[in-house]
Amino acid sequence: MKETPLSNCERRFLLRAIEERKRLDGRQSYDYRNVRISFGADYGCCIVELGRTKVLGQVSCELVSPKLNRATEGILFFNLELSPMASPAFEPGRQSELLVKLNRLLERCLRNSKCIDTESLCVVAGVKVWQIRVDLHLLNHDGNIIDAASIAAIVALCHFRRPDVSVQGDEVTLYTPEERDPVPLSIHHMPICVSFAFFQQGTYLLVDPSEREERVMDGLLVIAMNKHREICTIQSSGGIMLLKDQVLRCSKITGVKVAEITELIQKALENDRKVRKEGGKFGFAESIPNQKISAFKMERAPVDTNDVEEQAEEIITKADPPSEVFAKPILQTPGTAQIGEGIENSWGDLEESEREEQEEDNSDDATTSGVQKMETEEISGVSKTKKEADTIILSDSEEEVVVVLEPEETRKKTRTHTSAKQENSSSKKTFNKKRKKKRTTH
Amino acid sequence: MAGLELLSDEGYRVDGRRAGELRKVRARMGVFAQADGSAYIEQGNTKVLAVVYGPHEMRGSRSKALHDRALVNCQYSMATFSTGERKRRPHGDRKSSEMTLHLKQTFEAAILTQLYPRSQIDIYVQVLQADGGNYCASVNAATLATIDAGIPMRDYVCASSAGFIEDTPLADLNYVEEAAGGPQVALALLPKSDQIALLEMNSRLHEDHLDQVIEAAIKACKDIYTVLDQVVREHVHEVTTLLGE
Amino acid sequence: MASVVLSEAEKVYIVHGIQEDLRVDGRGCEDYRCTEVETDVVSNTSGSARVKLGHTDILVGVKAEMGTPKLEKPDEGYLEFFVDCSANATPEFEGRGGEELGTEIVNTLYRIFSNGSSIDLKSLCINPREHCWVLYVDVLLLECGGNLFDAISIAVKAALFNTRIPKVRVLEDDEGSKEIELSDDPYDCIRLNVDNVPCIITLSKIGCRHVVDATLQEEACSLASLLLSVTNRGTLTCMKKLGKGSLDPESIFEMMETGKKVGKTLHIALQKTLEKEESLGTTRQKVGFLG
Repeated sequence: MKETPLSNCERRFLLRAIEERKRLDGRQSYDYRNVRISFGADYGCCIVELGRTKVLGQVSCELVSPKLNRATEGILFFNLELSPMASPAFEPGRQSELLVKLNRLLERCLRNSKCIDTESLCVVAGVKVWQIRVDLHLLNHDGNIIDAASIAAIVALCHFRRPDVSVQGDEVTLYTPEERDPVPLSIHHMPICVSFAFFQQGTYLLVDPSEREERVMDGLLVIAMNKHREICTIQSSGGIMLLKDQVLRCSKITGVKVAEITELIQKALENDRKVRKEGGKFGFAESIPNQKISAFKMERAPVDTNDVEEQAEEIITKADPPSEVFAKPILQTPGTAQIGEGIENSWGDLEESEREEQEEDNSDDATTSGVQKMETEEISGVSKTKKEADTIILSDSEEEVVVVLEPEETRKKTRTHTSAKQENSSSKKTFNKKRKKKRTTH
Repeated sequence: MAGLELLSDEGYRVDGRRAGELRKVRARMGVFAQADGSAYIEQGNTKVLAVVYGPHEMRGSRSKALHDRALVNCQYSMATFSTGERKRRPHGDRKSSEMTLHLKQTFEAAILTQLYPRSQIDIYVQVLQADGGNYCASVNAATLATIDAGIPMRDYVCASSAGFIEDTPLADLNYVEEAAGGPQVALALLPKSDQIALLEMNSRLHEDHLDQVIEAAIKACKDIYTVLDQVVREHVHEVTTLLGE
Repeated sequence: MASVVLSEAEKVYIVHGIQEDLRVDGRGCEDYRCTEVETDVVSNTSGSARVKLGHTDILVGVKAEMGTPKLEKPDEGYLEFFVDCSANATPEFEGRGGEELGTEIVNTLYRIFSNGSSIDLKSLCINPREHCWVLYVDVLLLECGGNLFDAISIAVKAALFNTRIPKVRVLEDDEGSKEIELSDDPYDCIRLNVDNVPCIITLSKIGCRHVVDATLQEEACSLASLLLSVTNRGTLTCMKKLGKGSLDPESIFEMMETGKKVGKTLHIALQKTLEKEESLGTTRQKVGFLG
């Protein structure tokens, strides 16, 4: 399935927000999303969640004969798969550019940096070595696959235990987990990838881009570092032009981030080890939270309703008259009516589209406040709105300019006995009810 | 390789160069008559041919055409006899695909694609002999070929690799130095504006040394730029003399 | 084959010219274009050659590796061919576009070399049934300007002439296990005898006459062509007809005679060039693509 294209409005909105240093989810420019690491029941299996991006990593091992030109080294094999589960844009079986890029980046980050001691994987030189295979599956795509994948890969490798092997002369004995405890892999250091997204030709820079931000970015810079501040890989992609200072700045930020993430990983591994030792429950079933509502209760909040009338009077005297005068509805044909002139046509001037969105919001607020004002006006006993209340018909337009209708009697009744807050909620409830009605008919 | 000194005490490298010295660069433009633009470059023992076709109409699926700029299509392929050990497949494996992507990214940034909407520019690079710095030589050859084809670019794209041994940055690594496993940086630069089109680094390097290594790579790129510029000027001079202006 | 679009008028012009024994570039029907042959272009191969026949550019590299002999021929080495039609020649060859043409050329090469007398495979044997030299001949098609097969065969012959296979000695241990020792001297090597290696001559039938060494435009005008593999003594080892058209048996005989004649001259010229290059030895200036 082809990816849904991003509309121009969304694109512009995101870029403008980034210019004002605001991100959609409220993070700062250099903030990471929440990283959650959970382990499976077997050794070497883990799920890493970076915000909503989820990657599953699984490590397995096998005894094979070594490569001819590297007879004393074990073999490391990495494979990242983008399953269609992650995003409908990923099609099964087709090797896309993104997949090649991610796989090569992971290979370079983990293999070329020699994070795992391959010599220790040798059992009998030239005859039998361990082949460690790391399979990563992307379960959900919400941006920044490479970071999540690199964390998953290194966590899975740290968590993995391989069966113990002993060599006596020519005899090689492979012990099952029951006979001897499996042995962890010897890992020198933990390289973690940090991605930087560049916008507006490198003027703005964000760490850990979400999926929306990835779609509008100009280019990506990935720096892989370990906690000893050694850079393992740098890769710039996309058509951006970088300056040397930008790269150096990014590397400093990476140092800080990697330290935080490494600490998190250590803690998670420590926790898991403790839980397993104490015999507690572990595994995925325990780590997925139960998202069931077992009880729902709202506490009673006492509201002071003594001086509602004074407050209301104050608001009325201070407030301006409603900007839009609701004219009499014009009945065009049975079933349709028109109230007012409608707002200005926003299709002509695309530059102002955002401002008009804001205007609409303002007018929305104006109408709801107008509604409330109408109601408050009726408190003071102005009865000329009686007619309006009778004849105002709900417009069929999809706009949120909805005028709420309620028979006068109930209004008056409810008004005297309820607090200001509940008034709002009641008006909103009817508001919502009308909207829901509209939805069902459509 | 144990026992092989990559940098001797006197400051000489394996092939007798100093730390910041480039290998001998020889280049020629207009090698093939049938292609729109072609170039051949030799950097030490690395020999690369680049050929450019375009801008021409979109071949294959029309749906991939971009409405406001040209599509840059690259292919990086190594001859089967180019490496020490015979390569089974000239192109199509992961490493070649990655190089192809990098070349495409580099040239999309440098070529003024807005001038040719809905068309396609093909850049094909063939490595005849690989002795280290394959990507860098490919970028240099492709730059010359694009200039030979007359396609407007923002600036030359010059690429060079750099390494770091015993606190000294080395420029323009050959195969032996690359295979030793030390840190290596490949950098593609637009020399006049100092903008980096592609930055790639492998193996471990401490953050504090990053500045030095990138500086060495930038300097090497600028040296290559002077060589390439001279080649282009000579070629244009030759062509105009032959035309008899 | 790379295609070229010709108008009817151009085709008629070419056909009429050939009927008068006058080709577009001024050659006669039996003349070859100016050919450049250079050996030892790529240094990390055992042998290499580059041939530039007009606009056709071919680069051949030969790598010698040790392997086990084939079961049915235990005391011989063998040759493996691979043709890479690179995208340089034409954008149609990008990705997997050039595979079809490549396989066709490879099959033709195998047929020619399957004849036992073309190259002495017994000299490639080290230890019967255990070790032998395998020569990987890799052909790289850089530019396509017509008459591919001829150029490829010339390049293969030149590359094999240039191939230097290091001499090996087999040492027998006390236990009977054999060790292969490569001689240290890089100049101590065996050379192949390529006297009997045939060359391919392609004769294209245009109108009622046949031409040797057709350019791309002439190939577009011809409906049928005959591929002959000729040795230096003028013997025909292999024959194949290409193209959609049909050939009269009379014209086939004529083409064979022409082919033999042209083949002999081609072999003599090639041999002279190769020997001259060889005699220059290390003083020869390697031009490669820079010239």
